[in-house]
Amino acid sequence: MKKILLASTMAVATLAAPVSAEVLKIGLATAQTGGLAGYDGPVIEGLHIAVDEINAAGGINGNIKIELIEKDVRSDAAQTAIAVQELADEGVSVLVLPCDADPSLAAIGTVTSAQIPAISTCASSPTLPMIGGDFMFANFPGDNVQATVSAEWAHQQGHKSAYIIYSPDSQYTTMPLYFADVFKALGGEMLGEDTHSIGQQDFSAIATRIAALNPQPDVIMTSSYEPDFPSMLKALRAAGVTAQMIGSDGIDSPTTFSLGDTGEGVVFTTAGHATEGSPLADFNAKYEAATGSASETVFNAVGYDLIIVVAEAVKAAGGSTDPVAIRTAMAELENVRGATSLITYKGTNGMPVREVTLIRVKDGERELIGQPSPTADLIPAPRMQ
Amino acid sequence: MDLLLQQTVNAFALGGTYALLALGLAVVFSIMGLINFAHGELMTISGYTLMYCGIAGVSFVLAVPLAIAVAMIAAILMERIAFRPVRNSSGATMLVTSFAVSMILQVLFQNFISTRSQPVLLPQILSDSVNVFGLIIGVNKIAAIATTIVMLVFLDIFMKRQKTGIAMRAAAEDFNVARLMGIRANTVIAGAFALSGMLAGVAAVLWVSQRSSVDPHMGFLPVVKAFIAAILGGLGSLRGAVAGGFLLGFIEIYLAAFLPPELQEFREPIGLSLVVVVLLFRPNGLIPAASLKSEKV
Repeated sequence: MKKILLASTMAVATLAAPVSAEVLKIGLATAQTGGLAGYDGPVIEGLHIAVDEINAAGGINGNIKIELIEKDVRSDAAQTAIAVQELADEGVSVLVLPCDADPSLAAIGTVTSAQIPAISTCASSPTLPMIGGDFMFANFPGDNVQATVSAEWAHQQGHKSAYIIYSPDSQYTTMPLYFADVFKALGGEMLGEDTHSIGQQDFSAIATRIAALNPQPDVIMTSSYEPDFPSMLKALRAAGVTAQMIGSDGIDSPTTFSLGDTGEGVVFTTAGHATEGSPLADFNAKYEAATGSASETVFNAVGYDLIIVVAEAVKAAGGSTDPVAIRTAMAELENVRGATSLITYKGTNGMPVREVTLIRVKDGERELIGQPSPTADLIPAPRMQ
Repeated sequence: MDLLLQQTVNAFALGGTYALLALGLAVVFSIMGLINFAHGELMTISGYTLMYCGIAGVSFVLAVPLAIAVAMIAAILMERIAFRPVRNSSGATMLVTSFAVSMILQVLFQNFISTRSQPVLLPQILSDSVNVFGLIIGVNKIAAIATTIVMLVFLDIFMKRQKTGIAMRAAAEDFNVARLMGIRANTVIAGAFALSGMLAGVAAVLWVSQRSSVDPHMGFLPVVKAFIAAILGGLGSLRGAVAGGFLLGFIEIYLAAFLPPELQEFREPIGLSLVVVVLLFRPNGLIPAASLKSEKV
């Protein structure tokens, strides 16, 4: 009886609530299960922290609460398209799509026809907004920008020759091709390249071939991530290859820091670094307070930034929750202070301009090398496949 | 020449791991006609055991037998809970059951452990290499080759001398007659699962020692490779599984090593085409099981 009374009171209360308090519906079509869950998961954690923080403060502009509608796309392209369609039908104002460019692209038909701005959690392929159209945004430094930063660094270190190992299986894992372009443009010599398939267990054949090269390359660059990266690195080191290894954001994970002597000296590009007093350090403290454990990866903060960007776009749109107004405002955002970086969409096609951080593995910890801005002329044009 | 030798060592190490995996599938298939696609999840369970041992500070020397034991127990439980109720059903039912077990376990790993891959702490020695007559060979390669040899010898003795092993061979030959001779079905099948769990555990240690991490989907790729190797060797035949595993390892390594650079992208399709060519000439596999009737394939 009490329950019925409570329920009916609540129902009346909901009906009677003033309509002035608007709600911004954000639809999450992300991977909670399947192969991409390991990448979407941390981003979504950070995203929740931002939503809770904004709602606790009364909402965006103090009156627009954020409501999340979450759907699991099981890391499947077809399921992503279905989930996005369902979310569009529910009238969301903003869509959040999975980390990889491929499932995100599966949703572009709906995104474009429904005219709802969509942001991928952490896909970094610069072709995503190009193919995805006006309503597709990314939330990470582009592959071509990351590769430019690492190639310039390698060049500054006096490295003369390089070798790349990439996988044609996904857009992201072809980042070394950008690296090779920039490295050659800087006057470096490419000694060769190898391909592998994602999830390949054994890299000993490639390692043996590289070990047999004379002279040895100064640098080996790859954008492979787990489980390929540790396996590749171990095979190379076991074969006696001592070249400087350069990786990308995909290896910003605990495994890279647990490899002991083998992982020592690996350099990679990522989205940010928590120096003392930095916004990222603040975020990490929030994360620890919210979840009870320390943040293991910068992808938590990347998710937080995603919501900050959306909130700023809503503010810039004058508090509108209309998807088209939000899209227009988002495309004009400039120097939004996120946890990882200043974020700018103005003047881009949807691939944000953000700082790229160079990290070196030292004693199993992150050592900040720097946050250099890449030379604009050197950044290769996105490679359409 | 050196390069060829070096790549051959690589091929033996990889082929050995595949052989252990294929054997795990073959042991169960030969007795009850079930292709256990959850075999890979037994490996994942072993991997997580290694990870937790690392976190708890258990030394690797102790963690390895523990990880193998856990895989054996998991295999026995799997048979008891999932496969015993469908034992005499059609092959399709059992296959679907094994897929279901595999997916349920993956989701459990995701929900109760982590969606992200977790690092596994390994002793540094596994990343080192030694110089053998001018060849630089990784310690984990040597470990893989040595382990494969030890396991194959152990299996051979077990199958020929041990009562349970002999019973398993009899059951594989003709289960009904074996039962008439007083062999208990439950014991033999549980034994087969325990054995396949042990093989999965050993393979998992070798697999994880290369990749240093474990994630909920870790088991998928090895079970696919094991399946290919088992078909290649002759489904249901233990010797065939070993031969198939080694052949697959050799095909993969030699293609990766000696295919011209512009064809490297097509390595996997070329490798699978070679498998198909072998099967065209030997449709029942390299060493078909004695009991396998041609109409079964």
